[in-house]
Amino acid sequence: MLRYLLRRIIATIPVIVLISLLVFLLIHAAPGDPATLLLSDEASPEDIADARRRWGLDQPVYVQYLHFLANIAVGDLGMSFRYADPVIGLIGERLPATIELAVVSMLIAIVIGIPLGVWAGAKPNSWADNLGSVFGFFGISMPSFWLGIMLILIVSGYFNLLPSSGRSTYGIAQGFETGFYITQSLFSGNTTAAWDGIKYIIMPAIALGTGMMGLVMRVTRSSVLEIMSEDYVRTARAKGLGENTVLWRHVLRNALVPVITVVGLELGTLLSGSIIVETVFAWPGSGSLLISAIQSRDYPLITGTVLTYTIAFVIINFAIDVLYALIDPRIRFGK
Amino acid sequence: MKARSTRFAPALVAAIAGTAIFGLGEKVQARSQVAVGVTETIASFNPYADSISMGYGIWCQVYGCLGIYDYEKGDYVGMLAERWEVDQADKNVWTFHLRRGLKRQNDGRELSAEDVVHSINRINTDPQSKQKQNVGPIKEVIAVDQYTVKIITKQPTASLLEFLFDRVLITAKDLYDKHGARDADRRYPWGWGPYKLKELVIGQRIVLEKDTSHPAVKPHNPDTLIFTIMREPEQRVTALINNEIQIAQFIPPHLAERVGQSQNAVLQPTNAVEIMFLAMSPKFKPWDNVKLRQAVCYAIDRDLIIKNVLKSQAQRLDGPIGPGQYGYDAEFAKKELFIAYDPNKARELVKASGYNGEPVFLDTPVGRYINDKEITEAMIPMLNAVGINARLRTPEWATLWADVQRGRTPFYYMGRGSVVDASVALSQYFETGGSPRIGISDAKIDQTLAAERVSFDPVERKKALNAAFKAIQDAAPACFMWRHHMLYGESKTIEHKPTPSGRIFGTEIVVKQ
Repeated sequence: MLRYLLRRIIATIPVIVLISLLVFLLIHAAPGDPATLLLSDEASPEDIADARRRWGLDQPVYVQYLHFLANIAVGDLGMSFRYADPVIGLIGERLPATIELAVVSMLIAIVIGIPLGVWAGAKPNSWADNLGSVFGFFGISMPSFWLGIMLILIVSGYFNLLPSSGRSTYGIAQGFETGFYITQSLFSGNTTAAWDGIKYIIMPAIALGTGMMGLVMRVTRSSVLEIMSEDYVRTARAKGLGENTVLWRHVLRNALVPVITVVGLELGTLLSGSIIVETVFAWPGSGSLLISAIQSRDYPLITGTVLTYTIAFVIINFAIDVLYALIDPRIRFGK
Repeated sequence: MKARSTRFAPALVAAIAGTAIFGLGEKVQARSQVAVGVTETIASFNPYADSISMGYGIWCQVYGCLGIYDYEKGDYVGMLAERWEVDQADKNVWTFHLRRGLKRQNDGRELSAEDVVHSINRINTDPQSKQKQNVGPIKEVIAVDQYTVKIITKQPTASLLEFLFDRVLITAKDLYDKHGARDADRRYPWGWGPYKLKELVIGQRIVLEKDTSHPAVKPHNPDTLIFTIMREPEQRVTALINNEIQIAQFIPPHLAERVGQSQNAVLQPTNAVEIMFLAMSPKFKPWDNVKLRQAVCYAIDRDLIIKNVLKSQAQRLDGPIGPGQYGYDAEFAKKELFIAYDPNKARELVKASGYNGEPVFLDTPVGRYINDKEITEAMIPMLNAVGINARLRTPEWATLWADVQRGRTPFYYMGRGSVVDASVALSQYFETGGSPRIGISDAKIDQTLAAERVSFDPVERKKALNAAFKAIQDAAPACFMWRHHMLYGESKTIEHKPTPSGRIFGTEIVVKQ
């Protein structure tokens, strides 16, 4: 197990270096100059040249990259051109908002998607199956930004049920150093702040999680359908077990392996999908930070944020591999 | 009738449920709290690390500026500075007299000339500063005594206030010396403005709290002023109608009706200080021909575009500037600068220019300015109709702006913001050696712009500025189009008149009782 973990960790290093190189080259190849974008209209050519020198943009690209790598080696992602603060700190401030949003979206997707999938798979071609399929296709085919705008228009604009954007009400969520508003307020027993956070997260989480919900539902359905015809299910029934016991204890556990794969992959997609949803809902996470960094060609911030996403993907995939073995003992590490 | 009741029943149930479940029905803002939905964020605690108009507006009411431009008066007024004068013997020497007795927030320390000197020096030397252009004309700054500051310019600059006012933020020297830049900015953002910084969550909100001891503050000004980042117009409009915010910046024309129909809010238009224009760089053929450039100006039916594409939410520009901007003379503009839509004249000019019909590409940003793509789409057939083979290109903003800055774009639609006194902007775009953005070199323009810079008498200076406007109009390196009406949505619970610069000062907001 330990050797397997070590091997996986070592294998991630070239992936991260390669991604960093690709991102670095791509963003530098893109037209647009951070100095002209970040300085004001009135800035003179001398001011622009001075900013380029201060930010190291007057150096050849390979020198800039080597400098970047050397900094990474000591855990420094550089200084943001726009925010004039260390990139690592900026990401650290924004990432909890994105993680909290992704986790709530995932919970919505799992809590709705899996029961719907099991229900539909257990009774193929029934009205339950058809209803579940409608939900599934709705979720998969609905663009998250469109759903987000519709939610704002209807839930906030028409019914005035939830706040239209942002993350918290001023004066309620204060002093939460971790950045996990809901989690921290729940742990600290501040139900007012927790409730405030929940009100703000519901709509973006639905907009983000609906696609995943559809996918989870479809995969669960097909997986349950396949397993229902396995011999051991027939044996379980022959033993006289009730249909619910067969379904939830024997079928579901085995059906979960592909579902976990999808959930894992989709969690990564949720992180990247949050880029759009965060913009629609003015959610102050790392996705909206990345968008503003791209618009202003804030090279260190773009590279740092993308690297963070890459590492998150790697960790999620790694965790999924470990989960496989826990769920299905037939799977062994390194074999 | 029945159908109507049925349709509204779910809404009623949902509204009741919403009130019961989420308690939003009770969420009436305290009368002394005003939230503003804004499109930009302050990027740093360092007030000099960013150069956006909203940032200047916020920091100016926290730290304080030397002065601001009063759009009602059409002139500059003091804020931390009480008065100022130019030395008649040496036009490079300006003296600013600071207000006496202004106490700093939190500890009551009085404003001093040393703070002004420190601030101007910091703008120049802070490695994070993006505001060096604001002090560009300054050669030296000297504290004469506690209340007097002498500023010496590199060359006579009649428009110096355009650089300094609304722009140069005065921060405390003692706090900087004692705590260093980072801690002074983050932990001790104490200034001499009417509002204190209460909270700054970058990318989310900025909260200001009224300093009741400040002389400019009145009881009816909001106690708390919250700037909430809402980039999407739909968010701002929905939040305004729901009373989550009381002021929504920049309502696009297509959402104006929704605000207008709301029972909670009203629309407040103001003319932007951003001038929109079509630029033609004489460095590139066929734009080296003045007749062809003039033809473009006659070929565009600006009134038609304003009416149909901009839904009348813009004001035509006759010359580079419009009402409320420094030096504007309505009579002169009407007589000397107005260019009527005249396709026949445009055709004659095209013919006289010898233009051979080669394709010319009009570059436009998309989504940067109100209806920019739609506007330029409307211009193309107008240009084609007079014989100019124009085609539209829509590069990404970052690409287009970098190319414009480097003088690589021959023909483009663009805006120039923050034009209160047009001197700086005109020099930047139209004076030889100003910037490569248009790249024109015209002796008459250079001469008139140089003359206005050394005209310190306001009447003479306005005349000189108008002469420069005329010279630019004749050489036609750009066709001036319009200034957009910036639409603000504002709650009926407040009274506030938006300013063309977009600054939102708590002292200019009245919360109704």
